[in-house]
Amino acid sequence: MNEPIEVHPVDEPPHCSRCESPLEEGDLRCAICGQAAPHADHSHAKHVSVTLLRCTGCGAAITYDPDHQAPACSFCGEVLRVETIDDPMEQTETYLPMTVSIEEARAALKAWLDSLGWFRPSDLSSASTLTEIKPLWWVAWIFDAEALVSWTADSNAGAGRSAWAPHSGQTPLRFDDMLVSGSRGLTDQEAYAITPGMQLGSGTDSVVGGGDQPTLERFDVPRSQARQQVLAAIERTAADRIRAHHIPGTSFRKVRVAIVLRRLITRRYSLPAYVLAYRYRDELYRVVICGQNARFIVGSSPFSYAKLFLLVGGIILVVLFFAVIAAASS
Amino acid sequence: MASAPVTTSPSTEIACQSCGAVLTVDASVRSTTCPYCASPSIIRRPPTPNRPSPTFLVGFVVNHEQATQAVRNWMSKSHAFARSDFKAAVPELTHGIYLPAYLYGAVARANYSASIGENYTETETYTTTDSQGKSVRRTRTVTKTEWRPLSGQFQCYVVDVIVTASGGVSNQALEAIEPFDLRSLRAYSDSFVAGWLAEEPTRSQAECFRFAHDETIAMVERRLKSFMPGDSHRGLQFHANLDNEVIDLVLLPVWSYAVRYAEDQPPVQILVNGQTGRVGGKVPVSTTKIVFAVLSVLALVLIVAILLSVAS
Repeated sequence: MNEPIEVHPVDEPPHCSRCESPLEEGDLRCAICGQAAPHADHSHAKHVSVTLLRCTGCGAAITYDPDHQAPACSFCGEVLRVETIDDPMEQTETYLPMTVSIEEARAALKAWLDSLGWFRPSDLSSASTLTEIKPLWWVAWIFDAEALVSWTADSNAGAGRSAWAPHSGQTPLRFDDMLVSGSRGLTDQEAYAITPGMQLGSGTDSVVGGGDQPTLERFDVPRSQARQQVLAAIERTAADRIRAHHIPGTSFRKVRVAIVLRRLITRRYSLPAYVLAYRYRDELYRVVICGQNARFIVGSSPFSYAKLFLLVGGIILVVLFFAVIAAASS
Repeated sequence: MASAPVTTSPSTEIACQSCGAVLTVDASVRSTTCPYCASPSIIRRPPTPNRPSPTFLVGFVVNHEQATQAVRNWMSKSHAFARSDFKAAVPELTHGIYLPAYLYGAVARANYSASIGENYTETETYTTTDSQGKSVRRTRTVTKTEWRPLSGQFQCYVVDVIVTASGGVSNQALEAIEPFDLRSLRAYSDSFVAGWLAEEPTRSQAECFRFAHDETIAMVERRLKSFMPGDSHRGLQFHANLDNEVIDLVLLPVWSYAVRYAEDQPPVQILVNGQTGRVGGKVPVSTTKIVFAVLSVLALVLIVAILLSVAS
């Protein structure tokens, strides 16, 4: 039978007694391990009793109606309000302040364009024009969790006649402040590139900085789908860590993991960023800058094929030159 | 779990709260309708180990007409060897019922061992005869398998295993109309069963635990098979323990039909998932059709054999 749910202080949400993950308002069961949440109605009949549910409008008996998926009065047609299945849209709990000003973002873009290396056009920085700079807050889930990961994989370690040998193991892993992007505006690559510049401890419950009308992105998935996204991200991250640190050998295939999660705590953040668009020779390029540290910047830029051809031609000329000298000396 | 038998307490006598008629209801009935005034009554009894109070419920979504149409379609499209009188029979509604079932979950811990097959290719030389009848040596690439032992530990959560708690519906019959979408699970409330027949558990919890264990072990085996690395595996052996078990009583919406297709045969029970409309039941087969099919195949083989012998 079910174990009793632990009683926590009033200001703490109830926790699942099995996996110790916090339960949220409206949860019927723990989303991680399936343990039933404590139910408000603990009353059990002490003796046999009979109940007849009556319509509050006309007093007639009510029955459950599958067409309304709710109890309804078959006499006057009134549908009773029932407890709805609680799967609300995700809402931001914490906003990180925008600490990079627009001027600093412009300067960061110029410095970035200057730093892109020899294969970019020489006039990239001087010939580019900034067409748009937009402060925005994008959404993400940050989670902490403990996991026991059972894994199997093929690797080249210990291989015999075949290039692969099987390995297995069981490894405890801890996830701290792991980020899963919930943004539709930023790509995953952009989101993860600027995330290291975020100071997660600086969060507040309202927007700070970003001018008068910053763009605020909202979560557009319900809670159940968000949990699926977070669990999928945990599985991917666990497989990556196992591949990087725990499987012997240097090349791997068929890495499989089974995870028992505990203490999964998920927080919903809005994170500041600047999205910039610049034009170079009639082409538009996009850059994203972390709103808390302008050193974290990611974007697209033109490539100089002329310089590439020049380099390849130069190498061919040098090779030819030495070949001619070698032929002449022999 | 304690293997206490289900109490076979006598029928309960209740007074209809609407017209006052005295009704006798079976001890396994949780919700009923007064035959005189059609008022729904919900009977609440003190919970016992084998008859706990329901924790969850999945509400009906499929109504009577939709369920009947689904059964008709299913019967008419049942397989080729089904009896013709069964396909033409008219389904009779027995009732829409909230079926008691247990929702089981556990942490599975398994020790496993297996031989893992890792493929590799080799070039080998062989001797054959060419088109002129000469003996020649050739090479070919063959794929071979190197078998390596592997053992380890596996741990996972097992959730949402559903097993019947009703003596009237077997676990196989319930499996035939699964799955139920448990995202629509609700906390049990009397208002959801008002006007419908709701059954109390009539199987002991120990028996239901056995069902759940068997299903869970089968599920662990399937997961272990897909967990194995390599190109193939053989000799998978495992020993699994199930810890931190949770079991909650859930009421599931089921339309139950009886189909009487012949005077000398008992009626066939057909169940419809009241949430998804999926139909399940045992289709009676026609021995005449099977015999005819076997004889047709034998006749065909005989004709082909005769033609081949004549041709040769």
